[in-house]
Amino acid sequence: MKRYVYINDDNLAQDLYCDNRISNRKYTIWNFLPKNLWEQFSRFMNQYFLLIACLQLWSLITPVNPASTWGPLIFIFAVSAIKEAWDDYNRYLSDKKANEKEVWIVRQGIRKLIQAQDVRVGNIVWLRENDEVPCDLVLLGTADPQGICYVETAALDGETDLKTRVIPSACMGIDIELLHKIKGVIECPGPDKDIRRLDANMRLFPPFLDNDMFPLTIKNTLLQSCYLRNTEWACGVAVYTGNETKLGMCRGVPEPKLTAVDAMIDKLTGAIFVFQIVVVIVLGIAGNVWKDTEARKLWYVRYPKQGPWYELLIIPLRFELLCSIMIPISIKVSLDLVKGLYAKFIDWDDHMVDLETKTRSNAANTAISEDLGQVEYILTDKTGTLTENKMIFKRCCISGRFYGNENGDALTDTELLNAVSSGSADVIRFLKVMAICNTVIPVRSKSGAISYKAQSQDEEALVRAAARLHMVLANKNGNILEINLNASLLQYEVLDILEFTSERKRMSVVVKDCQSGKIFLLSKGADEAILPHSHAGQEIRTYAETVEQYAQLGLRTLCLAWRELDDDEYQEWALMFKDANSTLIDREWRVAEACQRLEHDLEILGVAAIEDRLQDGVPETIATLRKAGINFWMLTGDKQNTAIQIALSCNFVSPEPKGQLLMVDGKTEDEVCRSLERVLLTMRITNTEPKDVAFVVDGWALEIALKHYRKAFTELAILSRTAICCRVTPSQKAQLVELLKTCDYRTLAIGDGGNDVRMIQQADIGVGISGREGLQAARAADYSIGKFRFLKRLILVHGRYSYNRTAFLSQYSFYKSLLICFIQIFFSFISGVSGTSLFNSVSLMAYNVFYTSVPVLVSVLDKDLSERTVMQHPQILFYCQAGRLLNPSTFAGWFGRSLFHAIVVFAITIHSYALEKSEMEEVSMVALSGCIWLQAFVVALETNSFTVLQHLAIWGNLVGFYAINWIVSAIPSSGMYTIMFRLCKQPLYWITMILIVAAGMGPVLALKYFRYTYRSSKINILQQAERLGGPILSLGNIESQTRTLEKDLSPLSISLPKNRNSSVYEPLLTESPNSTRRSLGAGAPFDFFQSQSRLSTNYSRNCKDN
Amino acid sequence: MNSTTLSSSAAGIGSADSTPPRRNSKRPKYSRFSQQELPACKPILTPKWVIAAFLLIGAVFIPIGVFSLLASRDVVQIVNQYETDCIPEGSRTDKVGFIRGPQDKTCHRTLSIRRHMKQPIYVYYQLDNFYQNHRRYVKSRSDLQLRSPENEDETKSCQPEGTLNGTKAPIVPCGLIAWSLFNDTYEFSRNKRQLTVNKRGISWKSDRERKFGKNVYPKNFQNGTLQGGARLDSSKPLSEQEDLIVWMRTAALPTFRKLYGKIEVDLNPGDVIDVKLQNNYNTYSFNGKKKLVLSTTSWLGGKNDFIGIAYLSVGGLCFLLATIFTVIYFIKPRELGDPNYLSWNANPGDH
Repeated sequence: MKRYVYINDDNLAQDLYCDNRISNRKYTIWNFLPKNLWEQFSRFMNQYFLLIACLQLWSLITPVNPASTWGPLIFIFAVSAIKEAWDDYNRYLSDKKANEKEVWIVRQGIRKLIQAQDVRVGNIVWLRENDEVPCDLVLLGTADPQGICYVETAALDGETDLKTRVIPSACMGIDIELLHKIKGVIECPGPDKDIRRLDANMRLFPPFLDNDMFPLTIKNTLLQSCYLRNTEWACGVAVYTGNETKLGMCRGVPEPKLTAVDAMIDKLTGAIFVFQIVVVIVLGIAGNVWKDTEARKLWYVRYPKQGPWYELLIIPLRFELLCSIMIPISIKVSLDLVKGLYAKFIDWDDHMVDLETKTRSNAANTAISEDLGQVEYILTDKTGTLTENKMIFKRCCISGRFYGNENGDALTDTELLNAVSSGSADVIRFLKVMAICNTVIPVRSKSGAISYKAQSQDEEALVRAAARLHMVLANKNGNILEINLNASLLQYEVLDILEFTSERKRMSVVVKDCQSGKIFLLSKGADEAILPHSHAGQEIRTYAETVEQYAQLGLRTLCLAWRELDDDEYQEWALMFKDANSTLIDREWRVAEACQRLEHDLEILGVAAIEDRLQDGVPETIATLRKAGINFWMLTGDKQNTAIQIALSCNFVSPEPKGQLLMVDGKTEDEVCRSLERVLLTMRITNTEPKDVAFVVDGWALEIALKHYRKAFTELAILSRTAICCRVTPSQKAQLVELLKTCDYRTLAIGDGGNDVRMIQQADIGVGISGREGLQAARAADYSIGKFRFLKRLILVHGRYSYNRTAFLSQYSFYKSLLICFIQIFFSFISGVSGTSLFNSVSLMAYNVFYTSVPVLVSVLDKDLSERTVMQHPQILFYCQAGRLLNPSTFAGWFGRSLFHAIVVFAITIHSYALEKSEMEEVSMVALSGCIWLQAFVVALETNSFTVLQHLAIWGNLVGFYAINWIVSAIPSSGMYTIMFRLCKQPLYWITMILIVAAGMGPVLALKYFRYTYRSSKINILQQAERLGGPILSLGNIESQTRTLEKDLSPLSISLPKNRNSSVYEPLLTESPNSTRRSLGAGAPFDFFQSQSRLSTNYSRNCKDN
Repeated sequence: MNSTTLSSSAAGIGSADSTPPRRNSKRPKYSRFSQQELPACKPILTPKWVIAAFLLIGAVFIPIGVFSLLASRDVVQIVNQYETDCIPEGSRTDKVGFIRGPQDKTCHRTLSIRRHMKQPIYVYYQLDNFYQNHRRYVKSRSDLQLRSPENEDETKSCQPEGTLNGTKAPIVPCGLIAWSLFNDTYEFSRNKRQLTVNKRGISWKSDRERKFGKNVYPKNFQNGTLQGGARLDSSKPLSEQEDLIVWMRTAALPTFRKLYGKIEVDLNPGDVIDVKLQNNYNTYSFNGKKKLVLSTTSWLGGKNDFIGIAYLSVGGLCFLLATIFTVIYFIKPRELGDPNYLSWNANPGDH
């Protein structure tokens, strides 16, 4: 749907499009209640509770006061409704602030101040320096005579550098007065969310210009929420307003993620629900049978001879209500609460503060902390994630001469410095391309120092390096570019910029030398994007080898090239380029094609190598996490060799003797298929052996493999613990995540740039590094951290604790609900299966809300192992990954425990309070106190570490129980008036309590002790080791071992490039020399102490498949 | 259990993070909380502690069990089941017919005292197979109505015994519980001399004072077509109708005893007590048993061997477990926290 925006037309188009009122609100005052309730009731659990609560209104069947369900239900609903309302109110406030901001617009040729919300499509909006852009504008004029203005787009894409925006060529040179009267039409597509593209056209009406169409791109726009900087004023016409702006369209609620733990809890809830139905049916039938055979004889019950038609349903429904507490209404609230706290612990963690930038880690998604502990695959970006993304120009090769090879830094290489000062033509040309072929903006501060603002770190590095080599990019004034070379000033006019896209992998500029008037094409880009376009006859092999060599050092390479253009050739091409630029359909492709026409017959000038250092602690982090059984995949847009090199240096893959790299490559389907099969074969053979096998695949082969050989590739993905995918596009990254997810793996994607956003959103857990490429990834992510190494702590400490705690909390919630429910069921057997409730309404309500929920909430402080032990033994994460602490069998254990405890409590109560003491209220309170005592001891037994708060909660809760009951017992109108005082005075009561606790906890303690000591899990062993103090210290040398290992790895990787090269390029099959080494590796002893580094390798996949 | 207290600083520095931010050791509490570094006590189950715990439980439980059993043995209790014997031989084929009939239902029972019974001697009646906890029954009462005369119309919960024969006249006290009030009576005599049974103070004081109004008088009670249990003296307020108050404290179990009265003289061995009872209450239609119980009391209440036996068996089991654990500990010692068990190479999924 196209829209035609008539500029400055006060009559037309007034109501065609929405006004500029921004609304992020979910609700209005009127629809809040129904909408919120509707949302809450769309959850199954809530529907269930509502049904129960409604059934309770029928007094014939309700065993207790309806308040016992309605109270908690209303409480829970109120809590979430208030939270929603508060969030919405805050959104309303911020909307209001934005909407009521005053902006200048032009009405009838006069500037007027109006509120931002009244801006209409077609209005001309006037902005001054540092103003926020109120809606999406197409630039018409700026204070700058060249029609340039600068914007900060941080709010839009998180990139903090300034971007240039230019007015469309049609508006160039229009006087400020005339701008008030300008008329025209802009033809643009309907609102979309692509903030990097605008394919529109503009036509001004006479008298301004002829009826020519002018293309508009994103460079001609000011988007909502950006800031105008370094420009006195700018004006533009509103094309999208309100929620139809690019930013407004980008907004939207991401799909809520469900953790594996949540899914398991849902499953268990379902199982309990089925169990409940079975119980209800069985007891319902039994109740009806008993009624007809026995109860009719009980004259004092006076069953009517003829009941109503629904008579048969009454008893089953009563049991349904009686058993409804089996599904704990409190679990949702408890879980939300503790999950919020897990997220806060991540926010608060002092160990995860990036000291350089002072950024804390942040958990944007508070609901998925448990998943962190269950991660199986980590998919990581390379640049900026593993590396620092601090680009430094290190080496270069100019016309076959290497600079910087000796000392590792070209900038201090005297040879190069000499070449520059002597004015060697090749070197000067090389430096010119470095300085000119970019989109860097030089900003001169008041002191005269020049700083550079660049979108690409690589470009900035090149420009800086050029400046150090006396080729200073001094000023960019519109199209005129000034360069200082050894105190002489060179001027160039930039005619066209052929922009960088990830498909083209190169960028070029067309410049005109202002002195000589010659036109040049300057290009830079990836080797495979430049070298094929060199002019015939040039020897490119040396360059290809150079690139290879640099890549093996882990350096990023850029090839620089140029070509002189004929005037005619350029003119002809410029027309075509303009044409391509003004198409509305497939513009990107058309432009790329146009660029292709010019970028040929290039003269290669040389290769620049840029270093991107590894972040601190990356190798250790990867080693630790791999030991924890997490598989790593590296997905990068970078070259294969660079990627492999980085992979080697950060423990991603092991060096040759142990590690093995298998290539999946090929350009055609057949080739890919063959190599895929070969790799799979090797993989299957080596799978059982302690070898570190990784496969390497490039974007092209991946494309084919995913399209045609998905099954084989999936198998490969499952078999391989490590993979390196290079030259992949953002969508391929997301596809790989999707692939792993379909195999039922928990995936974590970590990245830092805009190209990782899709993968981050796709993965079960997205982690963003708030790094130099802006905050885009961090914003889209569930967690943002400052440095890659924090990932270790995030997973091993926070993820693991969260999982353990939730596992306990959820199962415990079911345990306590089942406990009280079983007692009710047992009681029904001695009350004529009539559905009498043993407990009164107050107790039932308070049981779930107060007595049992407080102690379990402090389990958020429980630590089974200290952080230090976990870091030393990351393998322990296996228990979380495999879901060992929350699964049907552990749940069965809790189920059995609640059944056992219910039997203990019930049997002891009815036997010690028999005959003359069998008063209903007393028996009920004895049974309830028994439950409370038992649950306090159960929590105490399951708690691994007691802090003050835990003691306070567990024992304080017990005291609280008595306090509450004493208060209730003091109210004469309550059913249990004086009961609790009466009981507490009886020695029998206390003796019964002690008996219940001993009989209930004794066997549990004995069983736990037995398993703890003689069938101990690894967690138990580590607990013992940690707390008895002794042997754990002897295990402390792991870290140092990995570090030494890492140290002797790096020289190896540099000194033996040839060796590795062979392993990289020849997929090693069974007949390769490696087979001998493999057998050697398999026979090696695997003692825990001697082979720390090898542990992870044979910690094989199959163990997690069971 | 063994407990070690780890200080927070030790945990912090030991973290494998290469650059943990330095913080001073005197950190405020909230920060320790937010860093999850609150000082914690981490007990573990070592054999020593577990065995000691079981021995301790055993050592505590067995004496308590012995004392409880002794207390229970000290209680003298005489139980006399009479529901069949009190039906004349000829009527035993149609017990229900007899109990509903107009015949004289007086019945004589003799109780002989074997052991000295110290006063007060509690007189209970015990009903078996009587479901006071049946849902229809237990809910059929109106506490509001019992408390004050203004609420006498609060009979909604009392159906089907709320109003008189479907009219609007409320029954006070309403409901099935009151309607089915137990109405057997006992008179005791020793050596032809009447033994007074004190029927005052058999109900809970709190019930008399708060739950049953002093100015609420029975009204329309047992005047319906269906006759339930006992009638009430409509000149006495409910707070003085102690039999009713006792009966209205419903029992949670189908077998229960309710206090009938107290005999406030000692009974000596060899005494023969004659009981003249009116066998009015119908337990025959549902095969319920009726028993007359005379019992003294101890610090644990009436005669109940359960507590003693349970304590003895739990104590014994604890000793047994402690012995077993000790034997296992010596036969198959296992060093706790031995890192040799940490074979990560072995499949951790084996156990």
